[in-house]
Amino acid sequence: MHDHRQCRALFEKLSEYLDNELDQASCDEIEKHLQDCPPCQVCLATLKQTVALCRKMNSSAMPEEVSARLRAMIGQMAAI
Amino acid sequence: MPDPTPIQKKVDSDVKLIEAIQSGRMDRFPELVRRYERVLYNFGLKMCGEPRDAEDVVQDTFLNVYKYIQGFRYETKFKNWLYRIATSTCIKKRRKSKFAPERELSLDEFLPQDEAAVEKQVPAWASLPLDQVLNEELSRTLKKAILALPEKYRVVLVLRDIEGFSTDESAQILKLSPSNIKVRLHRARLFLRDKLKTYHTL
Repeated sequence: MHDHRQCRALFEKLSEYLDNELDQASCDEIEKHLQDCPPCQVCLATLKQTVALCRKMNSSAMPEEVSARLRAMIGQMAAI
Repeated sequence: MPDPTPIQKKVDSDVKLIEAIQSGRMDRFPELVRRYERVLYNFGLKMCGEPRDAEDVVQDTFLNVYKYIQGFRYETKFKNWLYRIATSTCIKKRRKSKFAPERELSLDEFLPQDEAAVEKQVPAWASLPLDQVLNEELSRTLKKAILALPEKYRVVLVLRDIEGFSTDESAQILKLSPSNIKVRLHRARLFLRDKLKTYHTL
């Protein structure tokens, strides 16, 4: 018998689970539930991929003129 | 005899440079700028969206660092202190603009509304390797979604999932409790996940 209250409880803790911020007992409970619950497996996979995509996003180079203006500002401050 | 050096100071790679600057070597300040300008610029871009605003964030942050560096007491890592300044600079800046409205995100809004909305199979975008999924268009969608997050959630997501700060460090930077950081981060991630789901089903 599938207990949907467990889905809700797991849903609340998914980020902490992904971030290894839960104790062993909570992790075991989640993993046991996940084995038999495809919707929660989807939930975990999509959230995990969302986090991975954020981490993988490229950073932009700082335009040279921005850097030059910053240096000029620092130079002025130092001269005061 | 107990070592009076604060724990943070021992593991902070900026300590030598900061100590030199604090002892009067202001000529070394540009080294600090070089070390952090690019990351701060990217932080400003993620937080504010516009290159012009990101530039202001970088300038105002270094202006404040220059002004207050003598008061830095190594109670936290220098980088955390720097981001505390950058964060409040972004928040002041954003208050003047009209971007994402401030609102609470509740967990319920991210739960499936009915049985038909429950997905039982992992969609392709979530099962393929990252480099097959993350193209320029998706990157733009993700950046737009981050900017659409209410600010108090956006700042936590950017610090945790983009800048790579830990829960405790983010709590220090934002002066919030770690549990508050966790709650906001989870809701921010769910918000982005929904935007990605929508993008892939359209």
